[in-house]
Amino acid sequence: MANDDENKKTVQALISGELPWAEMKDLMSGTKDPERFRVVRSILQSMVPFPEKILLPLTPHLFIVQKQSERIVKCDCGYEFGDYRTNWKYFSRVRVRDSEESLKSLYHPDQGVDPQWMELREFYCPGCFRLLETEAVPPGYPVVFDFQPDLDSFYRIWLKEPLD
Amino acid sequence: MAQTVPRILAIDAGGTMTDTFVVDEAGAFTIGKAQTTPNNEAEGLLRSFDDALHYWNIDRTSAAPHLGAVVYSGTSMLNRLLERRGDGPIGVIVTAGMEDYFRMERAVQTYAGYPFSDRLHVVTHVHNEPLVPRRYVKGVRERISFFGEEVVPLYDNEVRSAVHSLLQMGARAICINFLYSYRDPRHESEAMAIAQDVLREQGSDIPIYLSSRSNPVRGDLARLNTLVVEVYAARPSRQQLFNIRDRLKEEGSSAPVRVLASYGGTVSPDVEWLVTTLISGPIGGILGARRLADTYQFENVVCTDVGGTSFDVGLITERELLTRTEPTVARFLLTLPTLAMDSIGAGTGTLVRIDPAVKRVTLGPDSAGYRLGVCYEPGGVSVPSITDCDLVLGYINPDYFLGGEVKVDRDRALAAIDEQIARPLGSDPFSAAEGVVRLLETQMRDHLYGMVLGLGYSPENYRLLGYGGGGPLHVAGYTQGLEFQDILVPSWAAAFSAFGGACADYAYRYDRSIDLLITTDAGAREMVAQSLNLAWQDLHDRIADEFLRDGLNPDGMSFVPSVRMQYMGMLDDIEVRAVWPMDAGEGLTDLVKRFDTLFAKIFARSARSPEAGYFVTKAIGVGILPTEKPVLPAFAVGDAKADPSADKGRRQLFWRGEWHTARLWEMEKLRSGNEIIGPAVIEAPATTLLVPPGHTALLDQYRVFHLMNG
Ligand SMILES: [Zn+2]
Repeated sequence: MANDDENKKTVQALISGELPWAEMKDLMSGTKDPERFRVVRSILQSMVPFPEKILLPLTPHLFIVQKQSERIVKCDCGYEFGDYRTNWKYFSRVRVRDSEESLKSLYHPDQGVDPQWMELREFYCPGCFRLLETEAVPPGYPVVFDFQPDLDSFYRIWLKEPLD
Repeated sequence: MAQTVPRILAIDAGGTMTDTFVVDEAGAFTIGKAQTTPNNEAEGLLRSFDDALHYWNIDRTSAAPHLGAVVYSGTSMLNRLLERRGDGPIGVIVTAGMEDYFRMERAVQTYAGYPFSDRLHVVTHVHNEPLVPRRYVKGVRERISFFGEEVVPLYDNEVRSAVHSLLQMGARAICINFLYSYRDPRHESEAMAIAQDVLREQGSDIPIYLSSRSNPVRGDLARLNTLVVEVYAARPSRQQLFNIRDRLKEEGSSAPVRVLASYGGTVSPDVEWLVTTLISGPIGGILGARRLADTYQFENVVCTDVGGTSFDVGLITERELLTRTEPTVARFLLTLPTLAMDSIGAGTGTLVRIDPAVKRVTLGPDSAGYRLGVCYEPGGVSVPSITDCDLVLGYINPDYFLGGEVKVDRDRALAAIDEQIARPLGSDPFSAAEGVVRLLETQMRDHLYGMVLGLGYSPENYRLLGYGGGGPLHVAGYTQGLEFQDILVPSWAAAFSAFGGACADYAYRYDRSIDLLITTDAGAREMVAQSLNLAWQDLHDRIADEFLRDGLNPDGMSFVPSVRMQYMGMLDDIEVRAVWPMDAGEGLTDLVKRFDTLFAKIFARSARSPEAGYFVTKAIGVGILPTEKPVLPAFAVGDAKADPSADKGRRQLFWRGEWHTARLWEMEKLRSGNEIIGPAVIEAPATTLLVPPGHTALLDQYRVFHLMNG
């Protein structure tokens, strides 16, 4: 890119949610910058308090990081959820809203869901108690495993820098 | 030499430059240019007028009293809307339940104006910031049905309280738009009467606007948008226009000032609905083209306008211009009859980059606009533009840009192209620059070829006219390989839009939705004929009132009645001339025949589908008063060989991968009959005509160049 600093500033603003709409639209409609992932990764790395290398962001607070020979899911508070191939939600604190009473605090009476048909599951970090993810599913539905990336292929084929 | 007597002053006030086109009694013309002065347009206009007159060695005060016609077109109104610098707050009263028009925008406005790739790319869709905040939109209970019947009466008290609170909130105008008010305006009229009562009680005199009055046509969001844009963007321009009129009067002119409207007529600045003049710039070009087509007796003409940011194409097919009634302007659907032009975002200012992923040239979508490109250092542009490429290739004279008034730096352009385009491609800067220009021209060619083919014609059926700032420079390129009958470049290409404005009629137009089905049933036909006649009578009277207000006698007006029609079940209606009064027998049969023929011309014969009947969507009336227009003088055709005084020397230019030594000519000094053999460049202060190797440019009796290949 013509100006690396400018580019980094833009991505920084994008991550912090401060990028004006017009510039965000340009980013979305423009050509794909092959360096974009590396820039995003390095900005995120500078924002977390731990030294392990971020391999991939999962949510605004969760990252897959390289810890010695392991690849684990880690919260930006430092809490570790374990191997990324296992659903991190199993190791989180869960609150299920499956009653009229519990749903009422979120929805207007006319607009809420019917707990017979759907429930809300909120997943919290045991370290910092932040809400990390919410799923809306029919009662009894298995816990959703949102995303299991193929990290080796991604790094080897797309970024052309294979992970060891 | 006898003193020149200027008769017509035509103005095209663009975002950056104000062009003037001044015509004398004999039809001779001169072109002026000056920077646009948005805060007081009259200033830039007068400077541009001075610039034009200096070629004739006369001054403004001796010229102005001779003027018989002044026509203005400009982009200030549109820019006010684009830049959100309009008037407000505006209060809006709608049918209860419909208060969220501006937040929902029928969804289509969230991707209006997007290229196809972004339309598919849903995350890029975004709602417009409403011109009217939600709290200024009040719903009142009432309902007129599609058939014009009252289903729910108007709740008077709700109108009263809506007006009360809008006044309290500081509304400076009130717009009223009810569902199906185009069918029956009684609820809007009743609401207006109630609102006026409240205003009187409160001692307020803010204006009230009715959609059934401004534009009684189907499509409630577009109708409301148009009403709001009238208050927001158009009304503030009225003062500017009055100001222009006053300034010219001070200079001694007694000519009425008229403004070009999007449907191709011109109107007084006193016109009831000024929003009809929202789009005027590109309209001028197509009217100028029609004038040339009439002069030369051409049936089919492709009009191509290369500007700084866009390439606009319009078609004249069998002498007909296409009018659209619901254009999208600045991301708003509007009910404004507008001469059809199709644009792509490619012009001389278009910025050029290399896609880092696939190592290919990408053009735009952004443009350097008035900042030209890297070659113009004060503009501060760091990415090369098409103008930079043209300069590097030797097509543009760096010392004669706008007659030498703007200094451009060829070395800066060359360095930027080398660094940002050529090296990433592993090429030399000249081949790279030429590749870019050919790519742009290919996009333009595909665009216009697609439009011609889409009508079931081929280029062999058309003549092509190239104008605008960049038209003469690129027309040889974008017509390459297309066998048009002829390629014409008027020597006044740079002010062609202003010229076109001067060719427009003094005309008011009104549309009205009627939605009637023509079948073989005699009773239904009787009703269609009756409704049309009533509608035309009403339109006729309204137009006559406009002329009366302008201080003119409407008796001399010619009234052109027409309808918009479609095959029942189809989506696009087209405009067909009609006869007034209309009778239910022969008259309607003739109308249907004319529609069948026109449909076949505009779309395709095979797409006709009369089985389900004919649907008349609108009645339209245009009232025209005669006005003075430029005549195209015919000069004596002389020698093919140009006078030596026109010879400006030679310059190297790069074409098809090779350097050529091109002859340079001063356009002003060429005479009718002269034949310029390429490689050559013909220069005028505001125009550069490129005659590539193997091409010849012949200047005809009207001072129009014909560009021939071989
Ligand atoms: Zn945490």
